[in-house]
Amino acid sequence: MELNAGAGGNGSHKTASERDEVAALESLQFTDEIRRLMSAPGGDNASSFTALLELPAPQAVQLIQSPDSAKLIAAPAPAPAPNVDDFRGSFQFPFNCGLIDRAARFSVFAGDGNINGNNKSNSPEPTSYNSSASLQKPVKNEPAETESSQPLVSDPTVENRSIKRKDREKVKGSSKKSKTSAKESSEDAEKLPYVHVRARRGQATDSHSLAERARREKINARMKLLQDLVPGCSKISGTALVLDEIINHVQSLQRQVEFLSMRLAAVNPRIDFNLDSVFTAESGSLMDSNFSGMVIPMMWPEVQLNGNRQQYPQQLHLDAFQQPVSGREEVCNSYLTPENSLLSYDSSGNSASLHSNQLKMEL
Amino acid sequence: MNPSSLKSRFATRFLRALTQIHARKPICSSSPTEIFRRYRRIKAAADKSMAYSVRSRKTWTGAVLWKLRSRSCGRRSAKTSTFIKSQQAIMKRTRHEKQNKNTTTTTTTGEHGVGFGVEASELRELVPGGEAMDYCNLLDETAHYIKCLTTQVKVMKKIADFYSL
Repeated sequence: MELNAGAGGNGSHKTASERDEVAALESLQFTDEIRRLMSAPGGDNASSFTALLELPAPQAVQLIQSPDSAKLIAAPAPAPAPNVDDFRGSFQFPFNCGLIDRAARFSVFAGDGNINGNNKSNSPEPTSYNSSASLQKPVKNEPAETESSQPLVSDPTVENRSIKRKDREKVKGSSKKSKTSAKESSEDAEKLPYVHVRARRGQATDSHSLAERARREKINARMKLLQDLVPGCSKISGTALVLDEIINHVQSLQRQVEFLSMRLAAVNPRIDFNLDSVFTAESGSLMDSNFSGMVIPMMWPEVQLNGNRQQYPQQLHLDAFQQPVSGREEVCNSYLTPENSLLSYDSSGNSASLHSNQLKMEL
Repeated sequence: MNPSSLKSRFATRFLRALTQIHARKPICSSSPTEIFRRYRRIKAAADKSMAYSVRSRKTWTGAVLWKLRSRSCGRRSAKTSTFIKSQQAIMKRTRHEKQNKNTTTTTTTGEHGVGFGVEASELRELVPGGEAMDYCNLLDETAHYIKCLTTQVKVMKKIADFYSL
């Protein structure tokens, strides 16, 4: 059995993990408690306790004296209950399956004898941590803990999340240890039967926080998509500015649509629309035959076309954005004149097919 | 050009609508009022054809079509009907979400109105049908809406350029 092996001090991996645990434990300022427990040597109580901790006991004392508390805080070891029984409970925290198994076996083994023994050893000590209350709870909790060791194993992802939360909260928790340890111990003891708990005081219950986290991640993913859609948004950091940029973009797009429809309203009367055929027809010959029926105003050479196209949209955009709605009608009137000038050009129909092909390719 | 893309679908519909508009009322006078009326019709046609061209079901398309229909029916009923419609949308969405995701209903229904400050309310005003959505879906709708608006602008620009020559 592992316990026997542990008692013999041979389980090096176990000792290392337990050493880490104990180290972390006293790093959270339970040094007094541990010393008291360690130094109570007489009889079975102490020996059983030391047997539980087995080899690490003297090493724990060494670690107490070592100044490396910072490292210990950073180590992903279970936190903190001030009492021995809570220690035992904390051994059951799941950082690896082996530990869980060992912890389960420990608690089963120690459930009968050592609890009473430790109760005796603890009772004469000054109970600054309201240990009596917390002692009772772990007694009840331990069988539940052994049962919960299985679900502990089966929820690695949740554990990982809780482990991360632990690491984050650990530093916070350690700072208010001494004052709030009593409350925390009782709360930790209450939460011990449940999985992943390391939730600190003030932390929401897990289902809500997980759901909220999932929601937040969804929102962040969508914000990223929006940033990609909106040009020039990827450089900006900060949600509010990105949102402002998105809002501006949507507004500008809506205004462009209005503006273009205004332009179409002004332009179109001159021209007959048979462009459906342009898009429905796949073959080029079909398009050419349809074009013969179309009235197409003509036609600059292409270079000039492109130049004019670029000019007009810029002017139109600037005008539209600056003027109020009533001014739009004037703008429309001003558009008609350049269009008149364009339409007055009647070059040959060679460019007609070229132009419609061009439009098709562009679209 | 992909015949089944959003762009081509929108372009076909929009051009058909344009031909209808021009066939209905060949322009007799280029007075500002005439042009303005025509502009209104064209804009409505553009929005409508965009809303119809969308394949996936989105809230904003329904809202756009609703507004257009209510506007054509009568302006008095527009506001109330949009309000009723938004309420129905909320009901549908909460029911839908309850069926799918049990855990998130409390958070999503609580999100409506508790946006991220001023920007969320502004966004809701801009995106059609945005009042009745929670923040998460609002961002989704905004992304789709921006995509559709950009295609709309591109197509209309090309058409306008084509015909302004």
